[in-house]
Amino acid sequence: MDRLIMFYGRECVHCRYMMPYVEQLEKEMGVVIKKLEVWHNEKNADLMRSFKDIISRSCGGLLGTPSFVNTKTNGALCGEVKYEKLKEWALGK
Amino acid sequence: MKKFWRCFVCNDVHYGVKSPEICPSCGAKNAYVEITAQEAQKMCRVAEVKMDKEKLRAALENFTESNEFRLNPDSETVDMLLEGVLTNEQNHGLKYCPCRLTTKDFAEDLKLVCPCNFLIHSTYKERGECWCGLFVKR
Repeated sequence: MDRLIMFYGRECVHCRYMMPYVEQLEKEMGVVIKKLEVWHNEKNADLMRSFKDIISRSCGGLLGTPSFVNTKTNGALCGEVKYEKLKEWALGK
Repeated sequence: MKKFWRCFVCNDVHYGVKSPEICPSCGAKNAYVEITAQEAQKMCRVAEVKMDKEKLRAALENFTESNEFRLNPDSETVDMLLEGVLTNEQNHGLKYCPCRLTTKDFAEDLKLVCPCNFLIHSTYKERGECWCGLFVKR
């Protein structure tokens, strides 16, 4: 299981907005964030649904995109977030 | 519980707890009879409209006209979201929001059909926009 996952939608504007920050974080921290598209790939969608409890806690009860899941800490973020917050999520803080 | 109703004069189809007293299409009074979902589905095929992006944009602009919200002025954002909504309809059967994922509970997922009831969203209350940003407060 990948430690850091970003669930995104191909036509989701918040996902498009967050993508450069995710790539910047990967470069800065030397980590890999697995990017899984959920509207065009049912397997990825089911994986996202399997994290429903974790994601919906930080997403107003929804399965919103983008969702960021740290499988080591069970920490999750949802929607457009600041770079520092994304970094803290990746570090498991 | 909501049911399907058909006007016996003009075949207007209504979905609701009660039938309308007056048919909004032909004006007939007390004209509705309860029908099955299958019948309603077949009857609606008569008026089936293929919706492309421009048709959908026009329908949504019309919908917002007399409301406190409008389509996002960023046309690139609107374009991408309408593309997503139509792609979801084609692939998943309904115009699901491209910025949320279905749960596989059909009744629950009806809340995700665009335009959804975004007036209750925290994003609308706090920032004046629906979850995906397609609609913004004027």
